[in-house]
Amino acid sequence: MIEASGLRKTYGDFAAVVDSDFAVEEGEVFGIVGPNGAGKTTTLKVLAGLVEPTEGEVTVAGFDASDPEMRRHLGFLPEESPLYEEMTALSYLRFFADLYDVPREVADERIEAALDRLELDHRERRLGDVSKGMKRKVAIARSLVNDPDVLVYDEPASGLDPVTTNSVLAFTRELRETGKTVVFSAHNLYHVESVCDRVVVMNEGRIVARGSVDGIRERHGETTYRVFTDVEPTATPALADLDATTEEVGDRFRTTVPSMDAVAAVREAVGDAGGEVVDIRSREPSLEDVFLDIVGRPMPGRYTGDLGGDGTDAESNADGDGDGDGDGDGDGDGDESETETTKTATTEATE
Amino acid sequence: MIDGFRRVGRRLAVGVRRVLRVARWESARASGGVDRRTLAAGVALLLVAGGVVGVGVATGVAGLDVDQDVYRVGVDAESPYSEAIEDAPSLRPVAAGTASLGDSADAVVVTVVEPGSGADGSIDAADVEEVVVRASDTRKGEAAAASVREAVESHNERLMRAEPNRTAAFPVVVTLRYVGRTTPLDGGATLGGSDGGTGGSGGQSAGGTDATDSDGDGSGTDADDTGADESSATDSNGDADADGPSGDERTSGGSDETDGDGSATDAPDTTDDGAGSDDDGGFAVPSIGGAAFGADTVGSPGSITPPFPFTSLLLAFAFLVPMNFLIQAYGSSILDERTNRRGEPLLVTPLSPAEIVAGKTLPYAAAAAVVTSLIALLVGGGALSVVAVAPVAATFLGATFVGAMFARSFKELTFVTVGVSVLLTTYAFVPAIFTNVTPVALVSPLTLVVFDLQGEAVSAGEVLFSTAPMAVGAALLFGLGLGVYREEDMFSQKPVTRKFLDALAVRLSAVPVGGGRGVAIPGRKRLRALGSVAFLTACTIPFVFVAELLAVAVLFALPVTVSIPVLLVTIAFIEEVAKSIGLYAGFERGVFERTDRVALAVGLASGTGFFLAEKATAVVQAVGLTELFLGRAAFADVSGFSGLPPIALAALFFAPLVLHVAATSAASVGASRGRTAYALALTLATLGHAAYNVGVVSLG
Repeated sequence: MIEASGLRKTYGDFAAVVDSDFAVEEGEVFGIVGPNGAGKTTTLKVLAGLVEPTEGEVTVAGFDASDPEMRRHLGFLPEESPLYEEMTALSYLRFFADLYDVPREVADERIEAALDRLELDHRERRLGDVSKGMKRKVAIARSLVNDPDVLVYDEPASGLDPVTTNSVLAFTRELRETGKTVVFSAHNLYHVESVCDRVVVMNEGRIVARGSVDGIRERHGETTYRVFTDVEPTATPALADLDATTEEVGDRFRTTVPSMDAVAAVREAVGDAGGEVVDIRSREPSLEDVFLDIVGRPMPGRYTGDLGGDGTDAESNADGDGDGDGDGDGDGDGDESETETTKTATTEATE
Repeated sequence: MIDGFRRVGRRLAVGVRRVLRVARWESARASGGVDRRTLAAGVALLLVAGGVVGVGVATGVAGLDVDQDVYRVGVDAESPYSEAIEDAPSLRPVAAGTASLGDSADAVVVTVVEPGSGADGSIDAADVEEVVVRASDTRKGEAAAASVREAVESHNERLMRAEPNRTAAFPVVVTLRYVGRTTPLDGGATLGGSDGGTGGSGGQSAGGTDATDSDGDGSGTDADDTGADESSATDSNGDADADGPSGDERTSGGSDETDGDGSATDAPDTTDDGAGSDDDGGFAVPSIGGAAFGADTVGSPGSITPPFPFTSLLLAFAFLVPMNFLIQAYGSSILDERTNRRGEPLLVTPLSPAEIVAGKTLPYAAAAAVVTSLIALLVGGGALSVVAVAPVAATFLGATFVGAMFARSFKELTFVTVGVSVLLTTYAFVPAIFTNVTPVALVSPLTLVVFDLQGEAVSAGEVLFSTAPMAVGAALLFGLGLGVYREEDMFSQKPVTRKFLDALAVRLSAVPVGGGRGVAIPGRKRLRALGSVAFLTACTIPFVFVAELLAVAVLFALPVTVSIPVLLVTIAFIEEVAKSIGLYAGFERGVFERTDRVALAVGLASGTGFFLAEKATAVVQAVGLTELFLGRAAFADVSGFSGLPPIALAALFFAPLVLHVAATSAASVGASRGRTAYALALTLATLGHAAYNVGVVSLG
């Protein structure tokens, strides 16, 4: 449904996207993840025909991305969704349906269906008077008025409260079920993990990893083991060689090691110290860990709140809001992930 | 072929349908964005503005005087002066018997009776009555006395006009006809070709109009008719010149001259009359609007008003007032699209940027058309007024569109709209003041409105001359703004100057460069690239034209010794900037490779494009602006050198091409090396161009 080859976009001396190649199958939810400035949004804008690539070719639904006809098959949700605030939700959506030559009756049906599904009330209220979440829903509904084959969503849940976020993510999953092809970007990786079939990880304009979420995790992540003991293990040379780290957690000690062999070494060391192992937990890498492994730096905002100086204001807000949502939702899903580098209250609570 | 037409027709129909849809929603949106109170305030403001104009018009048309009953004048009801004072709006008669100077009256008309004297010095029985105006010893009293004198003079004139025997009332009849004039270049002449009526220059031939002489010295009738214009002085006694000195002592022939000494008393008047001396051989300006310069007035010279089209001008100004409101709303709407990327979703619809912009502009253009038509209907204008105002409205909208596309905030937009308003209002209004004076006035379409309101006919060429630059300029402004109506530029926060360069650069194509000798450069691609350069430069012509006309209009009143050098350098600068700014944008935005070879190639293309487009300004000839000395300086052409051999004519014809190519190439090489080098090269190019202009003018 979407093919991009040799995609390159430069602004003067700055290369926003470098030699990107990817393809998206029909009915697939495809994620693009990466830190701020990685080239995600530029890539999406190229797909939407908003930005002309400096080099490379992009086809969407069989049309060149620069072909205006392509836009009939596309629904685009930009990262920000300021609307015409003097219009009502209904008139705003009708306006866009009109621009796509959608007959009024058909448009009204689609609008009603989308607004019902998105649980959007106050349809006759001026958009300037509704909440941010409502506006986002109207923007999502706008992307559907022309019943497109391809949906390009840039950070669809950024800046929304957890309830609205879940609603939007669930809606995105439903789109896949209706056969829509969705390209989805986010730097809240939980959002990506929860809806995407395949992802590409971008960094500094390049695609640095690609595949299914599980596949990437396998390739780039490592399972770690946490051994809880009642005494601190004796610092033996064997433990030092295993790159084990021990922390005191309450009245217990937690030693993190990379393999089951190392777990045995810890058990032996604890025995030498007169104690015993009280618990052992394994931990699968999250996409965030994978991301960290690939990119070599923590996710901006998610881990340290440091945007690295390359984010826009809007993105930093999204990061801030996204933190709580992602963590909270991840816990709710029973994800065992716990990141050692994260010391936020939320993450601690998951332990 | 037919299929092709059908395809184009279908595409056009689709485009129109889309534009109308956007327009419909834009109208709904715009009306939804204005609450009732704001609307009411707007309407109130419009009414106030209309009221102000209306009062002004009423004052001029209906004679409603704002200085009603300013002075109290004591006069007896039986006094022959009573009627004169009663008729004067500024005077309020009070009974002379009860009037007290400085208290209840500012002046008193009294009849003083003095005993007459006989031839031998004895007291004669017959008393002599003398009417005296006594005024209080204040400034107001003096003014009151002056007003009484004026009232009496006016009253006497009215009586004379009412006299059935016109010959007795006006023994000498002088017919005045105002005509345009040009004069040869001399120290006293102004750019407009008028010597300002300062008179005194004996070498100057008399103007085409002859002055009457109100003081009875008989010098006012120039029957010598040295000018080409008809002037007639008819002595009702059949002796036209018998009572005056030789008319050729007169200069400039100011029609308002009251003392016959050649000194004009009315500056505006003397610039528009006194024309017609054709001794300069070919500088005569064709009459514009036929009788536009004629204003028959009967009365004494003191009552003849100069042909200043005050009422028409005021009414014409009414056409401009609504534009200022429109551009506020329009500019806000455009900028609103850019604020917080509000308009981004529109860019992913099947509509092209041109369709979006056209749709968003249409309601405002329609509003301008409706308001203009209504105003025309109200003030008595016709289709010509509407046609004339249309390009002004389009330019208002076009300039506002570009401004709104370049502005980064509503604060900047405010400056833009105010700037647009002031600049365009000035451009439209100021030249129109000289509607009856000089063809330069036609640089403003508002002049056509004045003509229309005066009931004067104008030729198609004059309409074209007056409206085409603004109409084409408006279209190009929209084109300029459309260049940045795309995601990459719309939502960026670049400074206005950078956006301007972006808007220019987006219209250029990269010039392919060969890898050295023997490496073939794709001819068609190269040609297309150079063509884009030439076209961009050619598109600057309307702006160059407007800027140069504005320069002409601004420098109009200055003495030639000052204005000509300034004008020649100004024009050179305007043209050099027009030719090279696009090239600078191309180099700065990386469209062109920074090599001398490319710089020279694009310089050649730009200079050629400018030359070709410049030749298209032949419309100037149609109106006769080049007949003015100033026009020659600004729009010099080889037509003035008709006596030269063909080879010399050809050389002169292509001389501007050589000039433009050489100067632009120099500026281009500078532009390829950066801003400072560009500034230096531009200065050099300007000086070279100015020197060329001096040469052309000297040759002429």
